[in-house]
Amino acid sequence: MSETDVMQKVVTILTPYAKNAAALARVEPATHILEDLKVNSARLVDVVLAFEDEFGIEIADDDVDTVNTVGDAVRLISAKLV
Amino acid sequence: MQRAVGRLLSPLWLPATVVVMRFGLRWRIEDVARARRQYREMLRTGRPLVVCANHLTMVDSAAIMWALGSPLWLLAHYAAVPWNVPERQNFAASLVSRVLVYVMKCVPVTRGGDRGEIGRVLTRLGHLVARREVVLLFPEGGRSRSGRVEPESAAYGVGRLIASIPGCTVLCVYLRGERQDGVGNVPVRGERFSVRVAGLCPTSEHSGMRRAVDLSRQVVETLAALERQHFLERDRALCRERHDDRQ
Repeated sequence: MSETDVMQKVVTILTPYAKNAAALARVEPATHILEDLKVNSARLVDVVLAFEDEFGIEIADDDVDTVNTVGDAVRLISAKLV
Repeated sequence: MQRAVGRLLSPLWLPATVVVMRFGLRWRIEDVARARRQYREMLRTGRPLVVCANHLTMVDSAAIMWALGSPLWLLAHYAAVPWNVPERQNFAASLVSRVLVYVMKCVPVTRGGDRGEIGRVLTRLGHLVARREVVLLFPEGGRSRSGRVEPESAAYGVGRLIASIPGCTVLCVYLRGERQDGVGNVPVRGERFSVRVAGLCPTSEHSGMRRAVDLSRQVVETLAALERQHFLERDRALCRERHDDRQ
């Protein structure tokens, strides 16, 4: 799966959690999931679990700590899919 | 280092905190004997222990510390004074408050902040619990806006901490004042609290994040059960009072 495909799926998963629709409309790899998209930090775990289900991967706790931006999530998922 | 400084100054800050609550604010906590007995029993097992509580006000951690031990007992058993994890913006914004949280066994964290920082704080808390220090966490992640325990708000970090410590036990503490209808900053003067506790050894067949989520859910559901018990007993007491008034 290409990074573009992963990006699309990641954005689709983030959509119901993002409170900032404007930031979501112009989302890019540097977009911060909590600060820009205004995803509730308590719901970040649901987002990551959705990543696991969608891509059939398991994301470790330490890996979650590295995910701040949409690009971080895409890179992490892409690396797990290899 | 932080622990040593806090311990050195504990004869000042620990009794002072309780004096402010007991005599300044005239708070009373009922059923402390039962809560303190169970706390001591869980500590005596020698297993790692995390205290998880409901969260209604900004000073819950101080009241819970008092509910779990008298000032003298806590001074003699300093490891039993729980470490707290206050929100940095609330408790560590100024130099004075930063000094106070440093002395009073606190590890400030920015909720919803940098994931790396939160991970480092959880690692530090894990080290503390593994060394038989006690950590107090609010598994709902913040003060309950509804005034009731919200199982759907279970913060995954609590489960992550528990999962990282083999054999970790949890003491769930439900503390509520008679006049606490909802969320607030500080309970009113003269408040009368009741405290309920339940021991828990959470386990999960899941792995990774799902394990942490499962463990957090077990803790919050135990707190919700303690809350149901609290209101059930309160309603029964009210019924008895009305019955007695009629006679």
